[in-house]
Amino acid sequence: MRHAAKSASRFLRRFWRGLREWCGDAAYESYLRSKGRRSSSCRTLSPAEFYVEQLNRRYSKPNRCC
Amino acid sequence: MKRIFSIVGWILVAALGARALGSIALHRGEPLNATWFVVAAVCCYMVAYRLYSAFVAAKVLTLDDTRATPCERHDDGRDFVPTNKWVLFGHHFAAIAGPGPLVGPTLAAQFGYLPGTLWLIAGAAFAGCVQDFVILFCSIRRDGKSIGQMAREEVSERGGFIAQLAVLAIMTILLAVIGLVVVNALKSSPWATFTLAMTIPIALLLGLYLRFVRPGRVLEASVMGVALVLFVVVAGQWVADSPFWSRVFTLSGVALASAIIAYGFAASALPVWLLLAPRDYLSAFIKAGAIFSLAAGILFVRPQVLMPPLTRFIDGTGPVFAGKIFPFCFITIACGAISGFHSLISSGTTPKMILRESHARFIGYGAMLLESFVGVMAMVAACAMPPGVYFAINSPPSIVGGAGDAAAATISGWGYPLQAQTMTDLAHKVGEITLWNRAGGAPSLAVGMAQIFSNTIGGERLLSIWYHFAIMFEALFILTVLDAGTRVGRFMVQDLGARFWKPFGRTGWMPGVLLSSAIIVALWGYFLYQGVVDPLGGINSLWPLFGISNQLLAAVALVVATTILMKMGRLKWIWVTLLPMAWLVTITMTASYQKIFDANPRIGFLAYAKALAAQIAAGKIPTESLAETQRLIFNQRLDAGVTGVLAAMILVLIVEALVHWYAILSRRKESALHESPYIATCWAADYSGASHGDD
Repeated sequence: MRHAAKSASRFLRRFWRGLREWCGDAAYESYLRSKGRRSSSCRTLSPAEFYVEQLNRRYSKPNRCC
Repeated sequence: MKRIFSIVGWILVAALGARALGSIALHRGEPLNATWFVVAAVCCYMVAYRLYSAFVAAKVLTLDDTRATPCERHDDGRDFVPTNKWVLFGHHFAAIAGPGPLVGPTLAAQFGYLPGTLWLIAGAAFAGCVQDFVILFCSIRRDGKSIGQMAREEVSERGGFIAQLAVLAIMTILLAVIGLVVVNALKSSPWATFTLAMTIPIALLLGLYLRFVRPGRVLEASVMGVALVLFVVVAGQWVADSPFWSRVFTLSGVALASAIIAYGFAASALPVWLLLAPRDYLSAFIKAGAIFSLAAGILFVRPQVLMPPLTRFIDGTGPVFAGKIFPFCFITIACGAISGFHSLISSGTTPKMILRESHARFIGYGAMLLESFVGVMAMVAACAMPPGVYFAINSPPSIVGGAGDAAAATISGWGYPLQAQTMTDLAHKVGEITLWNRAGGAPSLAVGMAQIFSNTIGGERLLSIWYHFAIMFEALFILTVLDAGTRVGRFMVQDLGARFWKPFGRTGWMPGVLLSSAIIVALWGYFLYQGVVDPLGGINSLWPLFGISNQLLAAVALVVATTILMKMGRLKWIWVTLLPMAWLVTITMTASYQKIFDANPRIGFLAYAKALAAQIAAGKIPTESLAETQRLIFNQRLDAGVTGVLAAMILVLIVEALVHWYAILSRRKESALHESPYIATCWAADYSGASHGDD
């Protein structure tokens, strides 16, 4: 029983994380993690700056199909 | 032992699929249960995925998981982001699934359920999925390069130029035709018009919230937005019941087309965070919810399919659009079976986020199978209503003789019994003024969906709410494609203009932004207007044009794929892409020829122009309609010209490819691949993405 509850909770956690990644909610966290991995000298963008910059890039090429 | 169980299991799946397909193909007389469609499609997809995609992955492409993918080599947290394969599957599917797989099968249902269903399943398994998978693989091996760049590098400069032109052509025609679908869905419907209009202030509200209040918190904003959208669907009923507001939101086709054109311009010129992106978030959630609910509803209700397997209209005299089953069934159903537009997504964002080469099979091949399933569900929804009702909704007045008893008699005369009162009652039940002559596919699909939903929850009492929910769902994500497409088109125009005048290419320079937005909107807006005023309903001429341009792009993608396979030394496997390419070229060229030169004015653009000119010469056109008729003649000639250019582009591309292939095979030209150099991956075998790998 406890094992099943643990599995269900793990599944729900993963599902929640997947949903956040899918809809773009976790994009800024991904960016910060990536920035941490690369020791880049570029300034870290604020959440608002990153949000606008990311949208401008995404909607400048075909991203929705017929 | 495990292997034996597996083999027996797959034999059972294949046998069940064959049995279901047999039932669909050979069933005559009594209505057929829709469960057979679901079983046939799912079993065929499972077998195709297990066997054919595995063969393509192992033998043709030889996927290599030891090789670092672009997101590992260039990880920047922006474009190149290592992404879990399930999440990326969701991203890719949300990007490729547009209105095409819903509208195309609904229109093609005029031939009966059989041709469209078979093409959806077989076309996806052997052509569409292969195209998406192979192009995704090719782009992964080239750091996420686009189809245009790959065509230029691997085929020729001219091939790349044709790919770019094809993208612009498909974009223009696509935006016009989907705009027309929305116009026909909202025409004379205050409830639907109000609901869709209200999604604009809701999106603006979300845009401001996401920009200034909680930057980037997409999930919570989307939940609020979806709740508001569902509220306005219900509130639309009060608007429809109010004499004043009902009048305000009852718009003609031309007024709606003008509103959509103005909206496209605004969405393209305004900052992307304000209107376009928040609408996209709303649309993504509602699209996912509606598609999932439709699948669940079909399984729960198990409706009877009332449309016969083949109708009399396979002879080309169909009221929805004219033309024989070959080639027009394969042109009408483009997305859902094979769509060239997908190659832009497969060589766009997805290859930059994929973790391993082996994921390309699941994402490229698998997501297209799911899109094909959406097409099969749309076919079921359209065919589950009485055929008479289907033809009454989808036929233009010039074919059925308007509405009411005369039109019902025409449709009954075709062998599909219908009483005018049935249409009046149905319109009343779904909360519409009329359902006659609502061509475009969206209203009939909404009726089919609403009947399935209301049989699941709420019964007839909720039919009107479900109908307007379905219309809102279709229109919302059609407009999302329209505004995103207009913006991308604007960038293409700016890019092109910059060759002649540098400042025009600056994306932040307001005069350039406004002018390029106006140019792209004028391009598709003209075709949209032309479709709205066309007495044959517009869909008759615009949808085949869209199908031809979409399949042209698919042919470009398959030429690139075949060339790359040839250069990789996989000569004995090139039939995997060569056969779908040959099929596409055949149907596209046949359809183009017939659309230009056929003697039937309902099929041939030139014949229609000639017939109209003859009517003017014979004095049969009243003076007040003279200018409009002359404009119609011009439009038909223009459509013929556009079709001719598209066909010429295919021919040039094929000749170009043949010359190139001959040079490679006869070793007159070095067959240099333009792949990125091999770099071994540093990721552990069980690494599953940035955040997923953290646990």
